[in-house]
Amino acid sequence: MKKTLIISTMIIFSFACEEEIDVTLREAPPAFVVDAWIDNTMTMQTVLVTRTQAYFDSSTPPPVSGATVTVTDSNGDTINFDETEPGVYSWNPEGGSVAIETIGTTYDLRVEVEGETFIASSQLNRVPVIDSIKFTFKEEQNQFQPEGFYGEFLATDPVGPGDTYWIKAYKNGELQNNPFDLNVAFDAGFNEGGNIDGVVFIQPIQDAVTPLNEDLDEIVPFVPGDSLYVEIHSITNEAFDFLQQVIIQTQRDGGFDEIFAEPLENVSSNIINTNPDSETKVVGFFNVAAIEGRGRRLE
Amino acid sequence: MTIIKKALFSAFFLFLAIVTFGQEKFTLNGYITNAEDGEALIGATIYVEELGIGSAANVYGFYSITLPKGNYTVQISYVTFNTLKETIELSSNQRLDLELQPESTTLEEIIITDEAIDDNVVNIEMSTEKLDIKTIEKIPAFLGEVDVLKSIQLLPGVSSVGEGSSGYNVRGGSVGQNLVLLDDAPVYNSSHLFGFFSVFNPDAVKDVKLIKGGIPANYGGRLASILDVRMKEGNTKKTTLSGGVGTVFSRLAVQGPIKKDKASYFVAGRRSYIDILAKPFTDGATLFFYDLTTKVNYNINEKNRLYLSGYFGRDVFKFDERQGFNWGNTTGTLRWNHLFNDRLFSNFAFIVSTFDYGFSFGENDLDQFDWDSRIVTYTFKPYFNYFLNTNNELSIGGEGTYYKFRPAEAIGVSDGEIRDISLDNKLAFESAVYIDNTQKISDRITLRYGLRYSNFQYLGEGTRYDFVNNNPGERKELVNAERVGSGESIADYGNIEPRASIRYKIGTGSIKASYTRTAQYIHLVSNTAAPTPIDLWTPSTNNVKPQLGDQYALGYFRNFGGGNNFETSIEGYYRETQNQVEYVNGADIFINELLEGDLIGGDGRAYGVELSVKKNAGKINGWLSYTLGRSELQTEGINNNEWYPTRFDQTHNLKLFGEYSFSEKTSISANFTYVSGTPITAPTSRFVQQGITIPFDYFDERNNYRIPATHRLDIGVKWVPGKPGKARKVKDYFVFSVYNIYGNKNPFSVFFSQKEGRVLPGNPTETVANQFSIIGAPVPAISYNFTF
Repeated sequence: MKKTLIISTMIIFSFACEEEIDVTLREAPPAFVVDAWIDNTMTMQTVLVTRTQAYFDSSTPPPVSGATVTVTDSNGDTINFDETEPGVYSWNPEGGSVAIETIGTTYDLRVEVEGETFIASSQLNRVPVIDSIKFTFKEEQNQFQPEGFYGEFLATDPVGPGDTYWIKAYKNGELQNNPFDLNVAFDAGFNEGGNIDGVVFIQPIQDAVTPLNEDLDEIVPFVPGDSLYVEIHSITNEAFDFLQQVIIQTQRDGGFDEIFAEPLENVSSNIINTNPDSETKVVGFFNVAAIEGRGRRLE
Repeated sequence: MTIIKKALFSAFFLFLAIVTFGQEKFTLNGYITNAEDGEALIGATIYVEELGIGSAANVYGFYSITLPKGNYTVQISYVTFNTLKETIELSSNQRLDLELQPESTTLEEIIITDEAIDDNVVNIEMSTEKLDIKTIEKIPAFLGEVDVLKSIQLLPGVSSVGEGSSGYNVRGGSVGQNLVLLDDAPVYNSSHLFGFFSVFNPDAVKDVKLIKGGIPANYGGRLASILDVRMKEGNTKKTTLSGGVGTVFSRLAVQGPIKKDKASYFVAGRRSYIDILAKPFTDGATLFFYDLTTKVNYNINEKNRLYLSGYFGRDVFKFDERQGFNWGNTTGTLRWNHLFNDRLFSNFAFIVSTFDYGFSFGENDLDQFDWDSRIVTYTFKPYFNYFLNTNNELSIGGEGTYYKFRPAEAIGVSDGEIRDISLDNKLAFESAVYIDNTQKISDRITLRYGLRYSNFQYLGEGTRYDFVNNNPGERKELVNAERVGSGESIADYGNIEPRASIRYKIGTGSIKASYTRTAQYIHLVSNTAAPTPIDLWTPSTNNVKPQLGDQYALGYFRNFGGGNNFETSIEGYYRETQNQVEYVNGADIFINELLEGDLIGGDGRAYGVELSVKKNAGKINGWLSYTLGRSELQTEGINNNEWYPTRFDQTHNLKLFGEYSFSEKTSISANFTYVSGTPITAPTSRFVQQGITIPFDYFDERNNYRIPATHRLDIGVKWVPGKPGKARKVKDYFVFSVYNIYGNKNPFSVFFSQKEGRVLPGNPTETVANQFSIIGAPVPAISYNFTF
C-alpha cells in the first residue's frame, strides 16, 4: 500500500534530495542475539548466538562461543545443537533418533551462555501444500511493472482462523532476502483483522514472489530459463507479529516514504532471560516451522 | 441529559430577566456588507460615539445593538474599508443594513480613524488568529500557489512536521486534533497532492479564523484547535470572472447576482495540470487533482436568508488504466438565517460531509484487488445568537452528528474467484448542547463564559470486542467478540466542557486569560511522520476512550504607534490531555477489523509562549511570530513509561513576513522561517535475524534524536501591468516567486536503513544514516491572476 504512495509523490516533485550523513549515536553495551529459526526439513538446522553491534558497524556480527543450545519437545525428547563454527550451533536431523515432524508439538529452546540462561517456546503449526507455480506473460502495465513473465504461487489456507505463514521465494536457487522481499500472511490475508480464512491466498501475497530490482523501483520479470522456488513456512502468531514489525522497521528506502514512515521502534522478541533481575539484555526469535515448497522453471 | 437541559433553560430565562429591566430601549440591527460586491463583512464593528459602546457583526455580517431612545452618531468600520458615519434617530426598533466602501487605493496607507482600531486589545478573544484572503495572497507561496493552510503555519503556535507534509499542529497538538470547518462542514482531510496544497481554493475563501485556545462553547469535538473557513457568498451587484494560471494548477471563478441584491451565486474550480506536463516522463502514470467550490445565497426577506454551499474535490493517481488510487472530500451545507426578533438571530445548518479513498490493483478482471474506505457524516446544528443588551451577547445551540465509518469495502479477485473482504461499518452519534455568554462588566472587564455538554454513542449494528492487555505497548489479545444489534449502544460517553475567558484592560493594553475543556470522540489513526490520505478516522469505542484536554492561556495585548501601527501580544499556554491515541509496536492500521487492539491511550502535555508583532499599515507591513514550545506524551509501554517529545515537538519556531510597496504597480514580499529540529528515534545498535539486519535501541527510547534545524527564505514580487494611474478594464497582476531562495537543504527526517541492493548470503550488510529533504533547491514560479 505504502509503496503506491511513495511512487506517486516521486513523480511530481523532483526538488527533493537525500544524502548520507554522519550521525553520532549514543554508545550502548552489547546485548545477546539468538537467531533460532528451525524447521521440519531434513537439512542442517542451525541456531546463531551473537551480540548486537554498534549501528554503523558493518562487520560480521560478533559470535558468542561456548553456549549450550538445546531444543526439547513436548514429548520430552531433547535435541542438542553443537557449536560447529564460532557462534553457530548446528544439528543434523539426518539419521537422528529425534525428528521435528508432528504438527502441534511444542518446542522449548534453552541457551546457556556466560552464566545466563535464555529460554523460548514455539509450536510446529500446519502448512498448506503449494498446488502450482504459475508464470503469466503480462504486457507492460506501467513503469514499475514492465513487460514480461510474472510468477505467482497457488495455495489454499486451511479452514480455521489463526494460521500464520512466512512465504519465501528463491529465484534461480537464490533466496530473495532483502527486507522488501519479506512476505507474510495471516490465514490467506494480510492480518488477523482481515478475516480471510480458508481460501486461496489473496493476490498481493501470491504476486509478491516476483522480486523487485536492486533499486527497489521496478519489478524484474522472469525470463525463459529462470527458475522460481516458493516455500511456505508455518510460523507462530508471535513470529508473525515479529516479522510485521521487522517489515516496518527495515523497509526504509527513503525518499517520500519518509513522510509516511512509522517511528523507529524495537521489534519484539520471544527470547526470555530466566533471571528477571539480570541486567543482561537478549533479543531475537525462536520459531519452528513446517515447510511446503514447490518450484518451476520457465521454459 | 435532562438536568443539563434544565440548567441551560434556567440560565436562559435568567438572562431574559436581566434584559427586561431598565428604561425604554430600542434595537438597531441589520447586516453589514461590502458595497462593491455585497459580501457580508464578518466582525465589522459598530460604535456609538455618544455612549462609547459598540458591538460587532457575527459571521453572517449581522449585528444588533440595543440603546436607550435618543439621537446617535454611529461609526461602522472594518479593516481596509472606509469608516462610515451614520446619524440615527432611535425612537423605535430599527433595521439598518449598511454597506461599506473598500478603500479606494490598493495600497494600504496608514489609516487614522477617530477611534483607534485596537480590536485585538479590546476584544475578549484570545489565542485567535484571523487571516483575510488579501493577506494570504501576499505571502510568497510554494510554486506560486497561494494556500490557506500554508499561510496559517506562519502564525504563532502553528507548526508542521516538515515542509510539504499535510496538516498542521497547533500548540503541540496532533493533526487529528484540529477541527477544520468549511462553511460549518467538517473537512476530514484538508490536503491535495499529499499535503503540498490544501483543499481551500483561495478564490472562494472569504475569511479564515484559527482558534488555538479560549475556544467558545459553540465549538467542540477536537482538542487542539478550530479552523473556521468561510466561503464567499458571491457578488450581489455584478457578474465577475476571476482566475489565475499558475505553475501547478489553474483556477477560474464566476460569481454574480441571480437577482440583484437578493440572490447571488459563486462557482470556483481548480485543476492541476502537472500530470499533463509530466506525461512524457511518467509513461502513462498520472497524478492530478481538481476541486469545485460553490455557493448560492438568497435573501428571502429581511428576516430570512438561505445559503447553500458545497465543496467537491478529488486527487487521482493512476499507474495505468486499471491500477491506482484516489481520494477526496465532499461537503454540503444548507443554512437558514432567521431573525426571530430584532435581537434574536438564529441559524440552522444541515451538513453532509464525506471523505473517501480507494485503491485498485490487478491487471485484469481475474486478478484484482479493490479497496474503498469512507467516512460519512450528517450534522444538524441549530444556533441562536441573542443580543440581550449592550452588555450581554448570548449564544445557545446544539449539534447532532451521525457518523458512518466504513473502514474497508474490499473485493479481492484471485484467479477469477471473487472474495468480499470488507470490514463492518462502524456507526456512532455525537451530540452537544451549549450556552455561552459574553458579558461586559465594566470598561475594564469583559467576561465570556460557557458550558458545553457533549455525548457520544458508539452504536450497533456492529461487533463489540474485548481485549486484555498483557504487555503494555504490545498488541492486545482478543478475548471476546459479541454481535450487537442495530441501534444498540456499545459504548456511551458524556462530558461537561466548561469554557471561560476574561479580558482586563490596563492602560492602553489588556490582559486576557482563558480556560477551555474539550472532548474529542473521533480519532485520526495515523502512525506516520506526517498524515497520509489513507489515514482512517475511527470512533471512540469500549476500548478506545474519548480524548480530553484542558487548556489554560494567559496573554498581554498592546498596540503601539499612530493608528495603532503595531499590534503586539504575548501569550503563554499549558495544555494537558488524556487518552491521546498511540500505537502498539508493529500496529497494523490497514483493513484490520481488530484495529482497537492496536491502539493505546496516553497522556499528553504541551506548553509554550507565543510572541506576535504585527504592522498592519504603511508601505512596509508584515509580522513577526515566535513560539517557544514543548509537546510531550507519556504512554504505558513506550519509552520505559517516561515522558517523550512528540514527533512534531519544536523548541523554537520563528516566522517573519514583510511586504514593501514600491509603487502602485509593484510590491515585494519576503518570508523567513526558522524552526528547531523535530525529534526522531535513532537506534544505538543492530542485529541480524535470518539474514535481515534490524535496528535496535538498547535504551528503548522514543524520539531521542533531534534532526537539524531548518531555515528558509522565500521572496515574491507582485507586478500589475499597464500604465500607472490608468485604470484597466481587467484587473490583473503577475506574481514571480522563489521559494527557498538560497536553496537550503532542510531536513525533513533522518532515517536509518541498510544500503540498497541485495546482500549475498553470509556477507554483512552495510547500514547508514540518511537525511531526507523534501525541498533541497530554490523553487521559482510565476503565476498570472485576473478579475473582470
